[in-house]
Amino acid sequence: MKLADDHEVEEFRARFSAFLDAHLPAEAEARERSRSSAHVPDWARRWQRTLFDHGWLLPGQPPEHGGQGATLPQQLAHLEELARRRIYHSFNPQGLGIIAASLLTFGTEEQKRRWAVPILRAEITAALGMSEPEAGSDLASLRTRAVLDGDTFTVNGQKIWTSGAHDADVLLAFVRTDPEAPKHRGISALLIPTATEGVVRRPFGSIAAEDDLDFNEVFFTDVRVPRENLVGPLGEGWRVANGSLGHERTLLWLSYAERLEDLVRDAADVGAGQEWYATLRMDLTALRLLGYRQLAPDRDPAEISVLKLLGSEAVQSASLHALEAHGAEALPHPARTGPYHHLNNEVFVSSWFERYARSFAGTIAGGTSEIQRNIIAERILGLPR
Amino acid sequence: MEFELDEEQRMLRRTVRETLAKVRALPEDRRWETYLELGWLEAPPLELALILEELGYTADPTPFLATATWFAPLTGRLPEGSGTAVFDGTGRYVLDADRADEVALLTPDGVTVVPGARLAAERVAVLDPNLHVAHVDASALAVGVPDLALTGLAATAVGACRRILDLVLEHVKQRTQFGQPLGSFQAVKHKAADMHVAVERARALTHFSALTIAEDDPRRTEAAHMAKAAAGECQRLVFRHGLQLFGAMGFTWENELQLHLKRAQVCDLLLGTASAHRKALLTA
Repeated sequence: MKLADDHEVEEFRARFSAFLDAHLPAEAEARERSRSSAHVPDWARRWQRTLFDHGWLLPGQPPEHGGQGATLPQQLAHLEELARRRIYHSFNPQGLGIIAASLLTFGTEEQKRRWAVPILRAEITAALGMSEPEAGSDLASLRTRAVLDGDTFTVNGQKIWTSGAHDADVLLAFVRTDPEAPKHRGISALLIPTATEGVVRRPFGSIAAEDDLDFNEVFFTDVRVPRENLVGPLGEGWRVANGSLGHERTLLWLSYAERLEDLVRDAADVGAGQEWYATLRMDLTALRLLGYRQLAPDRDPAEISVLKLLGSEAVQSASLHALEAHGAEALPHPARTGPYHHLNNEVFVSSWFERYARSFAGTIAGGTSEIQRNIIAERILGLPR
Repeated sequence: MEFELDEEQRMLRRTVRETLAKVRALPEDRRWETYLELGWLEAPPLELALILEELGYTADPTPFLATATWFAPLTGRLPEGSGTAVFDGTGRYVLDADRADEVALLTPDGVTVVPGARLAAERVAVLDPNLHVAHVDASALAVGVPDLALTGLAATAVGACRRILDLVLEHVKQRTQFGQPLGSFQAVKHKAADMHVAVERARALTHFSALTIAEDDPRRTEAAHMAKAAAGECQRLVFRHGLQLFGAMGFTWENELQLHLKRAQVCDLLLGTASAHRKALLTA
């Protein structure tokens, strides 16, 4: 154990910092509120492309996929540096961190060329079709069917909570290809271009506002998808899904740490002198320490549930305290508890009510807090299933 | 930074665990001798935190905690025998004051060490019968608590909390109700998971505190308040869920659980509760 950063990590951070100083477009720091998690403004497309071309988009990847083979602590430094300057490196984080990353792991050479690299270069955007009305945390219960006849799948069914689907060019959808197989076994992963006939997307507003559109329902009616769009072997979708999310989860805690960092700064005016504010600082420090520990080799992946639970609930509790601390005086104040406004630049410097409401994304999405507690109890503490 | 124990630290922890398993049945003074012989008192801060966590885990009755984390950091040396320190002007609730060979007094002029026998110390019965706590007459003394003393109590509390969680886990895996082990019920799992998260959080902050002391980092005082506060918060949750999940069996004198609940609680109450240290953190 030691406090100081490794020399190689610091050197890496300094190189990235110098790159940002030299290349960062003015708009990148403008804190534009993202219109959806798949909508990429023109300047941001150019910016993501610049990052890709210089090996700074996904530095953990090999050079041909826009990286430089960076170690995990170096990847952490990369994300920390972006967060410190409050820069989006992509408006399509799922496309980049989950879909392109999965294609690079499980896809064919043709799929990498045709889909993964264009997503990395921000030429197209992608959304993740996982949840269904009756399959959320229990993903294995998904019902969307795909029937293979010759070289074509025919897809029928429905997805929901599909973030950014209305702005996405392609979906990575998990579908049931073998209804007879045990629940986990009969699932496959398919790339479905959103322009395909029979795909209908219906965005709906979030709790923040009717016109805050990220969620979608996606309906598939006799949608024909060529067999070459199958990702990984037929019936191995479960493995693709776990691999895809695994990718994202390793450093997931960092996004909670960033939000807590924002809260420490933004809530200082009402928090100073209050015990909840001390708790907030403790949660932030503990989360970072446990996150650093998770970078060591051979850590139990189940410990990521500890980080998710601690981080998401700390964000929620601190936002609630900040909201309450302002009292009624803040009701009409746009930066405090006032209503959602799309000109309020960035999501995580928005009003306290919006931050509190949005904190539920952390305790619901990506496996609810209840599911995380089950994982901790069963896989770490060894309690019976 | 690197926040994983290295191989030597893991080995130390294994040795400590094995030693404590062996000396469990020995009388107190023989245990104390063993710790002295092994040089545990001289361990640097992080290693000391690891040792204290294990001593907390076994509800150790020796004056190790006070000697290593109260006396030594204040005087800059180890006592001849055992030692403690008086941190506040009233000399109330001083760990091991009734049996310390030497007592360090923090006065406006600095630190004075006096033989324990020269101070009139009166042992106070506290809820953990294995800890010695006493009042001494030490009026007109300055206030100031070394970071290591706070960290030592935090590490001890973390160890006690871990033990409580382990006992609970053992219990809910074995005990069946409605034809199933208690541990298969989600309500039980969720409490156990919350206890685990609280222990991990407090332990991380305790290790961080020890690390800042070892490297004399400017964040050391802030880190010590965080560690003590987090250990106190952890203790509250683990006490509440632990006793609840053990059910009536945990509510008896015969059950080992009570020893650890009391050790954890005393560690929170000594030198400021969680709430006091959260407040201190705000001004640190």
